[in-house]
Amino acid sequence: MSDASVNRPSGVRRLTRSLEVRMLGLALLIAVGLSLLSPYFLTENNIFNILDQSVVIGIVAVGMTFVILTGGIDLSVGSVAGLTGIVLGLALQELPIPVAILVAVASGAFIGLLSGVLVAFFGLAPFVVTLGMMAIARSLAYIFSGQTAISGIPDALSGIVYTTVLGIPANVIFLLLLYLAAWGYLTYTKGGRTIYAIGSNREAARAAGLNVMFYSILPYVISGALAAVAITFSIAQILSADPLAGNQMELDAIAAVVIGGASLAGGRGSIIGTLIGVLIMVMIRNGLNLLGVSPFWQGSAIGSIIILALLAERLFNWRASR
Amino acid sequence: MTNPALPEDTPPALVARSVSKRFGSTQALSDASLEVRRGEVHGLLGANGAGKSTLSRIISGHVARDSGALEYRGKTLSPRSTREALDCGIALVAQETSLAPDLSVLENIFLPELGRSGRLSFPDMRRRATAILARLGRDHALPLDREVRSLSAAQRQLVEIAKALALNADLMIFDEPTASLSPAEVELLFEIIGRLRDAGHALIFVSHRLEEVFSITDRVTILREGRTVAASLGTASLTQADIIRHMVGRELGAIYATPGLDRAVTAGAPVLEVENLSARPLVRDVSFTLRKGEILGIGGLIGAGRSEAMEAIFAMRPRDGGTIRLNGREIAIRRPIDAIRNGIGFVAEDRRAQNIVPDLNVRENLMLAHLGRHRGFGLGYRQRQGRVAELLSQLGLPTDRMDASLLTFSGGMQQKVIIARWLLIDPEVLILDEPTKGVDIGTRSAIYRILRDIADQGVGVVVISSDFEELLGVTERVVVMSDGMTIADLPTAILTEEKLTLLAAPRTSTRRNRALLEALAQEYDAFAWWALLEDRSLICLGAAAAVGAPALDLRAGEAREHGETGIPAALAARSEGVVTEPESGLRSMMVALRNARGHDLGWVGLTAADGRPLPSADRIRALARDWQTDTHAQGDAA
Repeated sequence: MSDASVNRPSGVRRLTRSLEVRMLGLALLIAVGLSLLSPYFLTENNIFNILDQSVVIGIVAVGMTFVILTGGIDLSVGSVAGLTGIVLGLALQELPIPVAILVAVASGAFIGLLSGVLVAFFGLAPFVVTLGMMAIARSLAYIFSGQTAISGIPDALSGIVYTTVLGIPANVIFLLLLYLAAWGYLTYTKGGRTIYAIGSNREAARAAGLNVMFYSILPYVISGALAAVAITFSIAQILSADPLAGNQMELDAIAAVVIGGASLAGGRGSIIGTLIGVLIMVMIRNGLNLLGVSPFWQGSAIGSIIILALLAERLFNWRASR
Repeated sequence: MTNPALPEDTPPALVARSVSKRFGSTQALSDASLEVRRGEVHGLLGANGAGKSTLSRIISGHVARDSGALEYRGKTLSPRSTREALDCGIALVAQETSLAPDLSVLENIFLPELGRSGRLSFPDMRRRATAILARLGRDHALPLDREVRSLSAAQRQLVEIAKALALNADLMIFDEPTASLSPAEVELLFEIIGRLRDAGHALIFVSHRLEEVFSITDRVTILREGRTVAASLGTASLTQADIIRHMVGRELGAIYATPGLDRAVTAGAPVLEVENLSARPLVRDVSFTLRKGEILGIGGLIGAGRSEAMEAIFAMRPRDGGTIRLNGREIAIRRPIDAIRNGIGFVAEDRRAQNIVPDLNVRENLMLAHLGRHRGFGLGYRQRQGRVAELLSQLGLPTDRMDASLLTFSGGMQQKVIIARWLLIDPEVLILDEPTKGVDIGTRSAIYRILRDIADQGVGVVVISSDFEELLGVTERVVVMSDGMTIADLPTAILTEEKLTLLAAPRTSTRRNRALLEALAQEYDAFAWWALLEDRSLICLGAAAAVGAPALDLRAGEAREHGETGIPAALAARSEGVVTEPESGLRSMMVALRNARGHDLGWVGLTAADGRPLPSADRIRALARDWQTDTHAQGDAA
């Protein structure tokens, strides 16, 4: 480095040192680019569209952030969403809506608890445990549903999406409140800081008396429960529970968290970064749709953008560390 | 052990000039120079953090220098990798060995060749390995097919040396090679180093153990805070005091905010009592008592189980026996938080792996033990704000860098933050494992002062250190561990580095001495003892009594005034002939033991009842000599 300002960076430098700021810059760049390419992109209608499309993946990404911060990973979220969606569909045939939702969320949390205990207590690799859980949950989803989508979901359920407050849909409000709560929890509570400490240096966290066992399990429980919450919003829109639902959702969630700056080794990342990551993912998909790009090409586009974003980040860090 | 055959004007094999290196915010080397000739053992000395290891690692290509010049055999040397340095004939025999534990000895010796193209010939490798070991005078000392994992530390080192020779290394750097060796193994290593020197190799010996420096090196270069402060001085012309002055830049006493050994009497009631603690396989039987306001040292060699014992107390590793009492009340510590809630703090040995949480900033690292203890949903940082400010000023930590990463701090500052982490919970007992490892000398003395201060406030402090000098300078009492057991508990005032070295020797190397005592006691119906003698007191290293022999009050690991032993007259006379006690009529004789290098090993004595015959001094000496040769043979087999 030619300058001596490494230790006392100027304002701009300090800003660009924050990964969230750089990713927000990327998000804005994409937004500007897409609005130039498609005049429809920046309309109020489409902005609400983007927010609406962010809800399901955004909710799952919160749970994934918790898990990844501890140095783990949860590959089962898509399947758990599928399974808990079926549970919700079946429960709605017998139970009032709030109780049915509670049952679905509790079953998601239970699956997360199983994964968490296997990882934290028995010391199994998170990748393997949640890979197994992914297969189990998907298979149970098929069995419980009789291999077909469950329709006949009561219309009243759609109220959780289509009710508006001050013109903002309820599901978007829920998403924002969820991010606010998660941010507050991770930043200002003992549990949140413990989750960071575990991912950063488990041994030191334990030596300092932090409850490593409990806070290693909790993220998986949250992740499972939020997968159920996410699928609830999805079902409320289409009023049908499909055993195939949530397929590949884990990939989108992990991608959003990683684009948001989290390290898969744990300890580093933020909930705001994840929100930006989710918005980047959704904007790209939305923009490609507006531009009429074939859905078969969209995977390549999104994959390339993820890899390029991380590559740019790595190059930036290399330069910064010399 | 200088080499008189070496002409004064031998051209240097290696020259390093004004080498500098910075790691992050730490200037590890700023103006280091070094000149090494073929056929000499060149000591590279300095306190912890002086830059010895960094310079070694630059020469051996492990790290790149920032500036400065290296010349090897007249040509500029700029190794970009260890491979390049090896190809030039420079090898580092490292502190933490670079062997592959799952491969065989043979494969490890030729490990660098596995990376070359072409076919390997195992019969050929075997032949070459045998030849190399023969050159070292260590034929058959290594089972070539054994997995390296199962070897002793000394054997691994031998593999490292053989590995360097397999590459025709001409310049070999030994970085703290004796750190985990027993005295007998050190002797063997020195013999090997001597052979290498006589064969014309250039050898760099990195150490801070002065005794070893004097016995093995021909010339020394001394680093202090990354600078060469004394270059190529002849070892023979130096005294210990000279070297220490160069190493620390002031007289030794000034570094340790000296405890004042007189303070020991003021130490209060027992605060922490540990009894028969075990956490197998490394911790077998550990007992000690810590008093309020006392600094207790835990001494011993690396691998003696000291860190492991402390980790077991703190429930960082599972215990399988023993009781822990705090202020006389037995406490159950199942997790670290139990220890913390009871007011015990623990600065673990490995700062990076066990203490620092790299992704949290300085403030949160400082608050970590508080957070662990805090009961509540929030953080409770604010309620500790006042105490934090107090600690920061007390420890001389900057207040404006609380939001920075702890990794941008120097090792010494990091250690202060970690110590502050534990002071923040206002502990009754603070255990520190190697508290000055990788800490610059200035911060070291600051840390000693902190320990002194908190002890003065009534905190019981336990310090583990492999640096005997530090142990002697800081503590009031030392408990010595060997092979997972506490074997001695002595006031620091009567100890020296030599005595600690003898006490800390692994039991494998003292077992034969104990057997000797046992045999003598039986043969002469006597009380046999092995002790270090002082003018008015002694430290007992071993004792054995036959049935019916006079029972002297001597136990291994304990100190006695001469008057308390029952044989004061004999101890005063120090005679190889028989001395009869005027009061009790006990008859004693004793023999001074020395090892092959002439080091004092203390005295072996026999005490029998009146009228019993005692052996001649020569007989004991002969038995002891057998013991010493046996130790050598055992060193081979171990």
